Amino acid sequence: MTLLETGVTIVRPRGAADPRDPWMRLAGLFDDGALRPLASQSGIGVVTAVGRIEGGEAVAFASDAAVQGGALGQEGCTAIVAAYDVALRQGLPIIGIWHSGGARLAEGVASLDGVGQVFAAMTLASGRVPQVSVVLGPAAGGAAYGPALTDVVILGPHGRVFVTGPDVVRSVTGEEVDMLRLGGPEPHGRRSGVVHLVADTDVDALARARDTVALLSHPGHLDDVADRNFDDLMPESARRAYDVKPVVNRLLDRPGLELHARWAPNIVTTLGRLGGRSVGVLANNPLRLGGCLDATSAEKAARFVRMCDAFGIPLVVLVDVPGYLPGVGQEWDGVVRRGAKLLHAFAEAVVPRVTLITRKAYGGAYIAMNSRSLGATRVLAWPGAEVAVMGSVAAVRVLHRRRLAEATDAARPALEAELATEHEQLAGGLDRAVSLGVVDEVIDRDRTRSALAAALRSAGVGPASRGRHGNIPL
Amino acid sequence: MAEEVRAEMVANVWKVVVTAGDTVADGDTLVILESMKMEIPVLAESAGTVQELRVNEGDVVQEGDVIAVIG
Repeated sequence: MTLLETGVTIVRPRGAADPRDPWMRLAGLFDDGALRPLASQSGIGVVTAVGRIEGGEAVAFASDAAVQGGALGQEGCTAIVAAYDVALRQGLPIIGIWHSGGARLAEGVASLDGVGQVFAAMTLASGRVPQVSVVLGPAAGGAAYGPALTDVVILGPHGRVFVTGPDVVRSVTGEEVDMLRLGGPEPHGRRSGVVHLVADTDVDALARARDTVALLSHPGHLDDVADRNFDDLMPESARRAYDVKPVVNRLLDRPGLELHARWAPNIVTTLGRLGGRSVGVLANNPLRLGGCLDATSAEKAARFVRMCDAFGIPLVVLVDVPGYLPGVGQEWDGVVRRGAKLLHAFAEAVVPRVTLITRKAYGGAYIAMNSRSLGATRVLAWPGAEVAVMGSVAAVRVLHRRRLAEATDAARPALEAELATEHEQLAGGLDRAVSLGVVDEVIDRDRTRSALAAALRSAGVGPASRGRHGNIPL
Repeated sequence: MAEEVRAEMVANVWKVVVTAGDTVADGDTLVILESMKMEIPVLAESAGTVQELRVNEGDVVQEGDVIAVIG
């Protein structure tokens, strides 16, 4: 017997009530607006319910903005923890809708204790059931860290996430700042990485939550795919940058759900379906920072890899990377420490993961982008792709520094080109990568979709291949 | 409101595509930078007129330098 078939009357909220009403918000999340409340207490500032999303059951809770501004007290927190118990016991996704000033001041440390218990419940559920947060109003203090602990955070147009509000900031530092600048779509969508998806309307925010839940908890079966042509999306010059997002979207059955679209845009992380099966796509974006990996993009990618691994979502990795971004800023930013997260994430992932090198894969970034050595299920390459420690011209400038220095200025470019060609034949090139076994197969561009689907199918896409770990918000 | 288009990374200015006074649409290429052995177009992020163009071909731009002002 499922949760919805226990004989309890299904509540269908109706009428033009306050749009901030938590039941209305939960109804907007579930199929047909149908839900069954999990707890009957009123006035505790939180409502909890179970309903369906795209046919599958899901648990959800919402803070009640009409009760003390949605502030969380002990009873409300207990209700959230109880909802988590249901979700974990039944293996259901859980969605939180946030509009809350944080812990209830009047309750003192009791409310802090409750909020802490919510955090603990979220952490214990991490990687076991998908957790999605929709922030539709201010979410301050404890209400900010709640969403931050979950897998995907969606921000509505009135959503504001911050630890301390404008009044506290003003009294402590004297800085004049409003809620929008502290914790609106711009700071969190672009600078902090707190928010995965920014929505234009509340309805859109809930729709995206439904899409996310469907992709993470209803993975579907891998069917045959029709091939598509990618030629018009790739520039003729191998040196010219291009936007990889249209490539990602053409690869998928239909355009996917891009997470963190404006944060660390040099790597693209998109959930979507290939042959009907949920997949996570990672792709370097040459249009931004030349597609280089840097500290922030490595961290963004690592978290995405670990989330997909935890929920058994296979990975498709599109590689076109010139290397790690050089510079003192990057080193001081921790590109070594934060870049190591991506190596760790790929190397520990048990989910099928297929790499496609579209143009080039150089140096340490080659390794980090799901190389054979990190355990890629299969590595494909488009014709003409380069795999090397660095570009051939740059390589001969190091290897043949003296010989090039001795050449006349007039002769140097020709010598450089000659040495580069020689170097490519000796050390690099796709043929050598294939003979070494670090690239399995060179595929024509217009076989891309079928080749990726075949690689995933042969890896055995099933519930067994799923990482046993949490999804710490890296 | 004027929008400043800034360099995302250290780069050489390889080609300047627009001139001050040109009308541009969102997504139009303003200049093409050269960095990491790549030609990287810098795009307008809003429609408007190129009010200022602060780089010439051959210049080196640092991260955060203003390339153009679109208004």
